[in-house]
Amino acid sequence: MASLLKANLRQADRQTAVVTLVLATCLASAAFAETKAETRKEYRFTVGRNAIISVDTQFGAISVKPGSADEVVVVATLKSNNVEVDQEQTGNRVEIASHLLEGADQQAGRVDYELLIPPDATLNLHSSSGPLLAEHLQGDLTLEGADAVVNIRNVQNCHVHVRTMGGPITLTDVANGHIEVASISGDVRMKSVTGTLVQVVSGRGKIFYDGDFGSGGDYRFTTHTGDIEAIVPADVSADFRAHSVIGRVRHDFPLQPQHSRFPVEAGRSFLGTSGKASSKVVLRSFSGKIRLKQR
Amino acid sequence: MTCSEVERVLPEFLDRAPDDSFPDAVHQAEFETHVKSCLACADLVADLKLISSAARQMVESEEPAPRVWVRIAAELRAEGIIRDPVPTPARPALVPTAPRRRWSAVWLAPVAAALLAAGAYVVSHKPAAQVVTQQVSPVQVSPVQVAPVQVAPLQEATPGGAASPVTGANVVTPAPETAHAQRSEARNSSVRPNQTKPANPEVAAAHAVAPSPSVEDQQFLSVVSTLAPSVRATYESQLQAVNADIRETQAYVNRNPRDADARQHLMDAYQEKALLYQIAMDRIQ
Repeated sequence: MASLLKANLRQADRQTAVVTLVLATCLASAAFAETKAETRKEYRFTVGRNAIISVDTQFGAISVKPGSADEVVVVATLKSNNVEVDQEQTGNRVEIASHLLEGADQQAGRVDYELLIPPDATLNLHSSSGPLLAEHLQGDLTLEGADAVVNIRNVQNCHVHVRTMGGPITLTDVANGHIEVASISGDVRMKSVTGTLVQVVSGRGKIFYDGDFGSGGDYRFTTHTGDIEAIVPADVSADFRAHSVIGRVRHDFPLQPQHSRFPVEAGRSFLGTSGKASSKVVLRSFSGKIRLKQR
Repeated sequence: MTCSEVERVLPEFLDRAPDDSFPDAVHQAEFETHVKSCLACADLVADLKLISSAARQMVESEEPAPRVWVRIAAELRAEGIIRDPVPTPARPALVPTAPRRRWSAVWLAPVAAALLAAGAYVVSHKPAAQVVTQQVSPVQVSPVQVAPVQVAPLQEATPGGAASPVTGANVVTPAPETAHAQRSEARNSSVRPNQTKPANPEVAAAHAVAPSPSVEDQQFLSVVSTLAPSVRATYESQLQAVNADIRETQAYVNRNPRDADARQHLMDAYQEKALLYQIAMDRIQ
């Protein structure tokens, strides 16, 4: 009886081992096949000054960094054979687009792009899923994505236009820019962002600013339900006006009162000046909270 | 012996045989002395003796013939005093009838359990209630329209007495106390579903049952579904959020038509919707 039981157990162990081996082999084959389907393609374009580069992909990340002044290098990683890359150059304009073939879904249709472009080139990026990254550039930037995470770092002297539906947006070290950011529900975070115009609108997302509102610019942050928070240094120089129709408004450091034709309602709005009022800062929200803090 | 005592012992007197004496000789002598002297008791004893002797001598009479009982029964039926019982139809016997037993309450438990289980099954598998969307009267404005349509123009009294509309450039924000009172009223009301004034009627309006999508919204979602079905859910949720913001702001503006900032927020909300349309159209083209 005992020997029979042992024999049965040994047979069960063998069967289990065989099944496990078969499964592992299948998984490995699938992974290998998937890897095999991933394709990496490189394109090079020679351009002159003020080139215009456009990259449009439904699914996939786009990362753009500065390269040589007369060449655009595009490295595309295709995740499957169900997508192809269309590329076209007309003079100084380069257009790259993902072309979804039949059977392509969000996974199979994904193409990740890495670009090296002239620092002063104008850049247009479109991706529904993202993420989108642009850094150390000096040309005009237009980044758009539905739910894409947008990240812009170390750009200066340029126009920056960002639009998302729900994707969060982060601007870091953007100097002397003309910035227009609009999102329906994405959060917008800005650190050391200055410019002649910094206009940020988010319906339901939050707006967070950490900087000095410098450059004598016009800063307008507007939300519908999202909160607005600004952290400024002690030597900030700006006119501040904040108003929330339903939400609470407060400032954590004293402001010099300012004459204005608009009435100020305690807890719902404040109006005042700090320093020499070099810049103008308008913080508006329908029902979000607005808070001005000092670092 | 008194009359009452005679009445008390009288059954004993009557039950004994004529030749038997009273168990108690003293009582017997007193009984007989009183009966002889009392006319009422003498008559009572004589009557009872007569009845008792006649009963002993009574002969059992013969039972009446059956036809007598039949005739009596017919006469009673004719008068409606008695009715014949209605015969019940015989039920087919599916199972051999067993002797009838008293119904036991023990069977209540499994029957009740079966009913509970059936009820639980029905409730758990009840189809989801369909959300009924109400047609809300506020006008669904196309996203291309940036100006709110329900904002009444301000009326300013002219020196002549006639009211004239005030242009947007002359709009002045309301007095702080008026605006504060309006907002305090909206803010301080407690939120209860059975109250007519929620704490934030604008938010309540936005979170109320969403009205059915406008024609433009339906067309928009239809196009997105056709050209980019994988992102339809995303666009639809964003569209709902934007429409909720518009409703919320519109409700506030309706209550506070003089609030210029609120009207600006309403325009911003419509621009949000326009932005959503633009992003979608750029994507799916």
